[in-house]
Amino acid sequence: MEAEIKNENVSNSVLEADGIYFSYDNGYDVFENINIRADSGKFIAIIGPSGIGKSTLLRIIGGFLKPDKGIVKLMGKTLHEPTPEVALIHQSIVTFPWMDAQENVMLSMKAKDMSRDEMESKAKEALSRVGLDGFEDLYPKEMSGGMRQRVAIARAFAADPYVFLMDEPFAHLDELTAEGLRQDIYNILFSGETPLKSVIMVSHNLTEVLELADEIYILNNIPATVVGKVEVTMPRPRNPRSDNFNANLDALYSYLTPPRKKK
Amino acid sequence: MAAIILITLAVLATVARVIGLIILSIIAGWFLAYASIKSKFFENIYIILIEIFESVPVITFFPIVLIIFITRIGGPLGVELAADFLVFTAVVWNIWMGEYQAFKTVPREMVEVVENSRFGLFAKLRYLYIPFSVPRITANLFPSISDGFFYITVSEVFEVGVHTYQTFGIGSVLDTFVADGQLFNIEMALLIMGIAIVAIIVVLREFSKYAVGRYTLDTDAPVMKRGRLNIRETARVFAVLSKNPLTRLARYYKYREADKHEETYEKKEKKRKIYKYIYAAIGIIILAAVLYGAVSLITSVKLSEWGVLIGKTPSLLTGLGYDYIRVGTILVISMAIAIFLGYYLAVNRRAEKYWIPIIQSLSAYPAPIYFPFLFILTEPFIFGIFGVFTNELYVLSLGFISTFYYVFYSFWMGVKAMPSEYWEVTRNLKLGYFKKMRKVVIPSTFPYLISGISSTINSAWGGLMIGEYWPDIYGTHSLTVHAGLMKTIDIATATGDIALAAWGSLIFGIIVAVYSVLFTRKMMDLAQKKYVAEEGVYSA
Repeated sequence: MEAEIKNENVSNSVLEADGIYFSYDNGYDVFENINIRADSGKFIAIIGPSGIGKSTLLRIIGGFLKPDKGIVKLMGKTLHEPTPEVALIHQSIVTFPWMDAQENVMLSMKAKDMSRDEMESKAKEALSRVGLDGFEDLYPKEMSGGMRQRVAIARAFAADPYVFLMDEPFAHLDELTAEGLRQDIYNILFSGETPLKSVIMVSHNLTEVLELADEIYILNNIPATVVGKVEVTMPRPRNPRSDNFNANLDALYSYLTPPRKKK
Repeated sequence: MAAIILITLAVLATVARVIGLIILSIIAGWFLAYASIKSKFFENIYIILIEIFESVPVITFFPIVLIIFITRIGGPLGVELAADFLVFTAVVWNIWMGEYQAFKTVPREMVEVVENSRFGLFAKLRYLYIPFSVPRITANLFPSISDGFFYITVSEVFEVGVHTYQTFGIGSVLDTFVADGQLFNIEMALLIMGIAIVAIIVVLREFSKYAVGRYTLDTDAPVMKRGRLNIRETARVFAVLSKNPLTRLARYYKYREADKHEETYEKKEKKRKIYKYIYAAIGIIILAAVLYGAVSLITSVKLSEWGVLIGKTPSLLTGLGYDYIRVGTILVISMAIAIFLGYYLAVNRRAEKYWIPIIQSLSAYPAPIYFPFLFILTEPFIFGIFGVFTNELYVLSLGFISTFYYVFYSFWMGVKAMPSEYWEVTRNLKLGYFKKMRKVVIPSTFPYLISGISSTINSAWGGLMIGEYWPDIYGTHSLTVHAGLMKTIDIATATGDIALAAWGSLIFGIIVAVYSVLFTRKMMDLAQKKYVAEEGVYSA
């Protein structure tokens, strides 16, 4: 079983948040010594109660917010500001209403040195990857919520990121659409057809987290700290209706809600 | 035939002047709004200046500006630039404030998408900020077009002392026709001008439909409601600047510690800081230019003349008191009509379909152009009823027709924007007309009303400036009031007493700015705090 021995000295880390401290302008301390590591090929989930600062943490990891203390490293180099190599997908579906689907996707390539033909071809490819083949000319107002979120994901793909940061990406979708999209997304993410190496997703939906994640970081306390890390070893594909899945879900739930102390 | 061609060309020249200056102000406003969201320092200077200039009708200090253009530049170019400046300052504040508010309310998520793609200034403007600001600019185009055309007569022909300056346009051509008594040509000029304005309103209405359809948000991203900067925020900036230096040093070291890294992935912090310094420098230059202009104007007046001016100040203030009574009367009448008519049109779609375009076209049709003809037609009859108060009535009427539109349009929009749940509650509770107005409609449209009242007051001053002293409005008849600051400024300009005109303008400017800070802002704050249901203040 030599292949299973992990050499801790060889870093497999794609993105690493190390010793993150952060407070709001009004002095409210949000994070204290947060450490998160996303290795290659891993789907990381961050969970915690509402208002704990999950979305804020994702923005610090993406370079959108500067921590008071601590660093974020992408492929071993310090990340100081947002970069297309780390693509953020929002909880609110962000599409630009004045652009059609293809132009929305092409937006992530505008700053690159690419010809219009190249951009168009890549945008079509990205749209096709998320199942929107033939919908290139539609404007966001002509699409459903699920289709628009697919456009946002295609836009992120088209930038060829190493890491996806997903901020409750399915929260605004109905359960059936969300489940279909989750399956599609996971299949695309690590298909090997893109440079993508890792995903960090924030969610408060435990079913969603358990269905997708390899590792779960649990945030709690004020200021927030990582109070636990769970490795999910269930084989894929994971069926949310299976007994095994539900047993794992119960275990995760009990981990998050420890029994109250007796008076 | 030659006269009709001349009129058509003159109308085209005027329309080109107004539209061209609106386009110029839109383009300049994008860059200024961008600078203000990137630099707090620039924002503070920019917004305070906009708020002051928005409150003070430029026409009151136009004589001084005019002298600068004529003495420094001179010739037809100087006159043209002076006219352009007046129209520009009439249209620009609405548009600049609208663009600033649009840029401030771009959803954070959309900003993050363009930041993620590492866009430069022009790409950010092109793909995000400019498209996002289109609906708000479109909404502001209606009042801006009205404001621009309103000042045509005074901007294309003006007298300072014994000199008359004029530049080509329908205002100056019409002035010649009136002087020569060419009645047919006057009628043709009014007709062609009317056709041009209706055409502009039709195009603008179509464009606004397109803009709303294409550029309004479909995203679920929440819109940030930061809105106008207020005095407290400015005070906070000073408080931050004067914060304990040791605390600031400690923060500095905290950041320094975090910044000690072996290799950086992308580092552009320095470049960002440079941009902040550039924006701050632009802000300082603008402020310095305004201060320099004020100081050089003050020092250019002799000490003995200052004595005379200060001696006249009590009568100037009394005149301002009369003017405030006039503005108050215009406002009360405008509000009463706006509330009943605005409500009626907002809830009656058929009536609204016909009346709103008509009201929009009428408001864009410059009152000073057709007002003399209304005066000719009605003066004998009105004089028979009102006697010595006839002139006062005409001045109030000119003020009313030049400003009624603002409060009407704001209130109408407010009623249209009321959440449907409010209507359901009024039906559910079976509220009568007056109770419904008092308990639901007026409170929920309060932010819109305050915004409309503010615009109405500002525009009323422009109407008074033109109406309080209008020599030879037709034939040998003159329109003039018993007392008023606007009249004093008008007469001082006409007689070439620029020092008195400037002093009157300065007193007026200071009082209007103080009023704006003490009253309008307080009401806006109250509206935001207590009555805002949706995006009231910002949409209004």
